[in-house]
Amino acid sequence: MVALVIVLALLFDFTNGFHDTANAMATPIATGALKPKTAVLLAAVLNFVGAFLSTEVAKTISGGLINEGEAGVVFGPELIFAGLVGAILWNLFTWLLGLPSSSSHALFGGLIGAAVVGASLNAGSIDFAIINGGVFVTKILIPAALAPLTAGVVAFIATKIAFAITRKRERDGFKRGQIFTSSLVSLAHGTNDAQKTMGVITLALIAANMQEAGTGPSILVIAGCALAIAAGTYSGGWRIIKTLGKGITDVEPAQGFAAEAATTATILASSTVGFALSTTQVASGSVIGTGLGRKGASVRWRTAGRIAAGWVITIPAAAIVSGIAAFAVSSGFWGIIGVAVAAAAAILGIFLYSRRSKVDHRSFHQPEPGVFVAPKPRRAKKPKRAPKPLQVKAKQQPKKSSKKKSKKGKK
Amino acid sequence: MTIAWGDFLTVIVASLVAASLLVTLFSLGLRFGDGTAPWRKTASVAMFVLCGLLVAVGIFLIVPALHSAVLG
Repeated sequence: MVALVIVLALLFDFTNGFHDTANAMATPIATGALKPKTAVLLAAVLNFVGAFLSTEVAKTISGGLINEGEAGVVFGPELIFAGLVGAILWNLFTWLLGLPSSSSHALFGGLIGAAVVGASLNAGSIDFAIINGGVFVTKILIPAALAPLTAGVVAFIATKIAFAITRKRERDGFKRGQIFTSSLVSLAHGTNDAQKTMGVITLALIAANMQEAGTGPSILVIAGCALAIAAGTYSGGWRIIKTLGKGITDVEPAQGFAAEAATTATILASSTVGFALSTTQVASGSVIGTGLGRKGASVRWRTAGRIAAGWVITIPAAAIVSGIAAFAVSSGFWGIIGVAVAAAAAILGIFLYSRRSKVDHRSFHQPEPGVFVAPKPRRAKKPKRAPKPLQVKAKQQPKKSSKKKSKKGKK
Repeated sequence: MTIAWGDFLTVIVASLVAASLLVTLFSLGLRFGDGTAPWRKTASVAMFVLCGLLVAVGIFLIVPALHSAVLG
């Protein structure tokens, strides 16, 4: 059971990595400051390094939010397992939709759902008392509302400043700056997000009496989490990068720099004061703010609205999925097997479905200015474009030529 | 349940100041870099150096091993 939890936790870490590559790397990729492959490699390395830099936050994942001890539930590996299932499935689902939703919220939602169901089964009635409402509001809800707003305002002002000071021909220089600011975001992300998984694994180990309570994560756990998040980052959540880098607004290098600066500043300021803002929400807010800050740039509010809706339902949705999982798990061994099989099937299904409309690093091809771009062969367009009278003519021509044409069209 | 409004305000102000400073410095660096007068080059480099310092502060804040000794 513990092994299963660890595998799932690492899997969650992986989805977390590829979900959040976009936070740091969407704008540099969109402006062409970094080539897509280089960008994800840089982000992966920095995430890996970042995971080793800090282990202090790892325990806060369980601390406070869920009332443990005599009054609460015993948060056993089974419930952690159920919580992780919900978090992973929700993360993959939002990735499929290309929504930059918060991985941390998915994890919190999953754990909350599992805890509520676990407590309710113990008490025999629906029991929300297990959730520490005050902590939930101050540590999760308010920051979630405030993070994108703050980042948006900061990015807006930073964009105004950048455009006021520089002249148009100088603005390409921002591309180089973007490399540094986006690296900072990646590093900060690594130090924060790998922690959460370390916390979960350590929690499971402690719950299974394989590790003494009150100790930090072991070096093996740290290394495993660092690897998982780096691998996830490198595999690149191209769908979300596309949404964030190109879907909300068209980003110029100066805007990208301003947005990244705002993201970094907001994350650092808040983590120094002591609450964890969602990197994803900060980054999305920055992109919207920078879109508003440039004259002539338009923000696609439909996309922004979709993203915001995704944020609102992340916690309840993950909670419901893991609540169901927790219910099934409580029925014993076969329940656990059933949930594992169902989760594997769902993950496989999402991957298969995602292949229908592939988005990968080639979707961001940006020709360097001055590089000759070969014109695309036109054969694909021909059959569509041909006006009707022409087709009639073609029909009148001898059969052989028309056959050739149709062949060409297929190619 | 107490909500630390003061902390939120601190976050907003601090990130606003930091981001604006970084963008201003970098922009000025680019602006000064565009010209032929000899002083411009120096000013531009100075701006970028200040930018680098600001980034160093950022790394200092990210890595707990560095700042835990100072901030506690």
